[in-house]
Amino acid sequence: MKGNKKRKLSLEKKIGLWGIIFVMPSIVLFSVFSFYPIAYAFVVSLYKKELLSLEAPKFIGLRNYIRLLQSESFWNSVVATLKFSVGTFIPMVVFSLLLATFILGRKRFQKLFQMMYYSPAIMQSAVAALVWLIIFDPRSIANQFMNFILRTRGVDYKWLVNENMLILSTIIVYFWKYIGYFTVLFLAGLASIPKEINEAARIDGASRFQNFIYITLPLLKPTTTLVSITAMIQCLRTFSTQYLFVQAGASIKPIEVITLNIYNTAIRDRNIGRASAMSVLLFLVIMILTVIQLKISRSEETYY
Amino acid sequence: MFRKVLFVLLLVSVIISFGAKIQITIWTHEDPNRTRIEEKYIKEFMKMYPNVEVKRVTYPSDKIRDIVLTAFAAGKGPTIFNLEIQYAYPYITNRRVVPVDLNAIGLKSYDELKKLYVKGTLDAVTYGNMIYGLPLEITNWALFINKKYFREVGLDPEKDYPRTWEDLMRISEKLTIREGNIIKRRGFDFRYPYYLTFFLPMVEQLGGALFDKKGNPVVINDQAWIKVLNFMKEWGPNGKNLGSPTYPAARKEFNKDNNTIAMCESGLYQILRIKEENPKFYNSNEWMVVNWPIWKDAVKDVRCNYYGHYYMVNMQASRPEREMAWKLIWYMLSHPEEYLTEVGLIQPRLSLMQSEVFKKFPYANVFLEDLEKSHMIPLHEKDPQIEQLLKEMVESVMLSNVSPETALNTFKKKLAQLMEE
Repeated sequence: MKGNKKRKLSLEKKIGLWGIIFVMPSIVLFSVFSFYPIAYAFVVSLYKKELLSLEAPKFIGLRNYIRLLQSESFWNSVVATLKFSVGTFIPMVVFSLLLATFILGRKRFQKLFQMMYYSPAIMQSAVAALVWLIIFDPRSIANQFMNFILRTRGVDYKWLVNENMLILSTIIVYFWKYIGYFTVLFLAGLASIPKEINEAARIDGASRFQNFIYITLPLLKPTTTLVSITAMIQCLRTFSTQYLFVQAGASIKPIEVITLNIYNTAIRDRNIGRASAMSVLLFLVIMILTVIQLKISRSEETYY
Repeated sequence: MFRKVLFVLLLVSVIISFGAKIQITIWTHEDPNRTRIEEKYIKEFMKMYPNVEVKRVTYPSDKIRDIVLTAFAAGKGPTIFNLEIQYAYPYITNRRVVPVDLNAIGLKSYDELKKLYVKGTLDAVTYGNMIYGLPLEITNWALFINKKYFREVGLDPEKDYPRTWEDLMRISEKLTIREGNIIKRRGFDFRYPYYLTFFLPMVEQLGGALFDKKGNPVVINDQAWIKVLNFMKEWGPNGKNLGSPTYPAARKEFNKDNNTIAMCESGLYQILRIKEENPKFYNSNEWMVVNWPIWKDAVKDVRCNYYGHYYMVNMQASRPEREMAWKLIWYMLSHPEEYLTEVGLIQPRLSLMQSEVFKKFPYANVFLEDLEKSHMIPLHEKDPQIEQLLKEMVESVMLSNVSPETALNTFKKKLAQLMEE
């Protein structure tokens, strides 16, 4: 009996050892390419460091953070990021769910629809933004489409000029690009709900709408949480659309999201210390959201 | 035994190090015409110095600033590079580049070097009595006109071309074609967002300035600024709707001759770019170049600020690399006439500016006339940030209906904050 226990433990140890061996490469890669930069960014954020200067950085403690919190530009970025994130992630979650339901309800061309909606997600963000810049050109199809729909002629909807339209334009690009990705996530979630539950409800006389509201939606909670938080985090990290729009002449103020501000602070202002402080703050927000996601997804685990 | 092995290893490493080629990398902005001639010079140079290997890499002009900066920050900068001087200037003040190696270029003193160039054109790269770069190009802008669009609206391009900013707005209104509010053809549009280059001289013509005599950024003569801001407001989509920063760059559209733009502002190099991109238009005799405008009631005759691209050498390169880099730069730049005739670049060498080649080059006289009345964009460590603040000010007036007075006050406040830092 004793001997058996000993053998069992050593087997566990062996398995554990192999586990560690298999996990090691990713831990090493993660440490080098993720943990180290995060830690380094935190250290740099405590220094006054000029990107081109050969002089040793000067330790200034939390002064970069204090300056940030007093900076008009930083708060403008916070507002721009919030406007963009809220404006993007709510329609994205709602429409991706509706699209997934629509696709799942199709008997034909299911795969084709999936492919069509997903294809923008594999496109480079910069390319997507460039394509949309052409569309938003006043002489191009965005204005033509609006004029056709609203039965107006020659109205310039100022997609890249008017502050609100500019924000809407960035939202449209992001929405178009990622809607397919989240639709696929919802499709996986919907497919995992056993058919028997829906069939039982239908036998009990539930309509399609009631079925969706009272059966599908509650069972889809973990996927909805996952999609919501992932979409929110994606929105907080948006960069290339805003960057390219500004390069194309759009005003920076309404769309200077935090990532763009980080980039400008580091590259244009060459102030790598303050840019790192901003990155650390953004990292903390994203980390808090991730923790919330983990907590909710654990508490909302669904058993069929 | 150990000593023998050590000796052999030492011998091998010495042989390898002597036999190794000197590697030189050049990072520069894209220009197909220039690539053609510089690749040729590099080949010739490598024949002259077989122990040297040169790699020339090009980047889009709006990307190269960031690429060079991040490479330098990481200690991986190229041996040779060039940027617009307002972006290159901090490399000098931060000691990231080395002074011109007089021995390598075969000169005895910086005075001798200065005598080869037009007066003042090396000032931008002179710092503490040393010269840190050699000019690849000095660029000012003039007005490019598509003659047939003038005739189309009943104007004679040779007589009726705009001489003042007031003319420019009036003529642009005539030339602009709209469908409702949508501009189908612009009469003229500015070269956004180069506000240090075109906006500042507009202010200076009216007696305003951005820098005091000591070179500190400060708004001088509010009225001049407000007048220019009002002009930009009237120009923009909320005014007379003649153009906007969000339309495709006017100078690029101009070359296409596709009825989307009648006038643009650009450098001499534009001429050879028209030739390269649209030979039919180039040979049509339907375009011309005239002097950059001035206000009707101008108090100072300054024209569009000029800027420069200077070749510079990385301080972190090894001594032999640096020496060879300056030799290569000097070799390439010893062909100023070819840079002019093949690329349309003005290298401000006295020999070139006084040559028949320069005088015969199409519209060179127009650019020279303006150049003589111009000065280089003011150089300051914080030029990129200042240009960004100018952009915010002008565009808030043009695109967001902010009043010129409010925009100017915001600009002053932000400028003061920037300087405090």
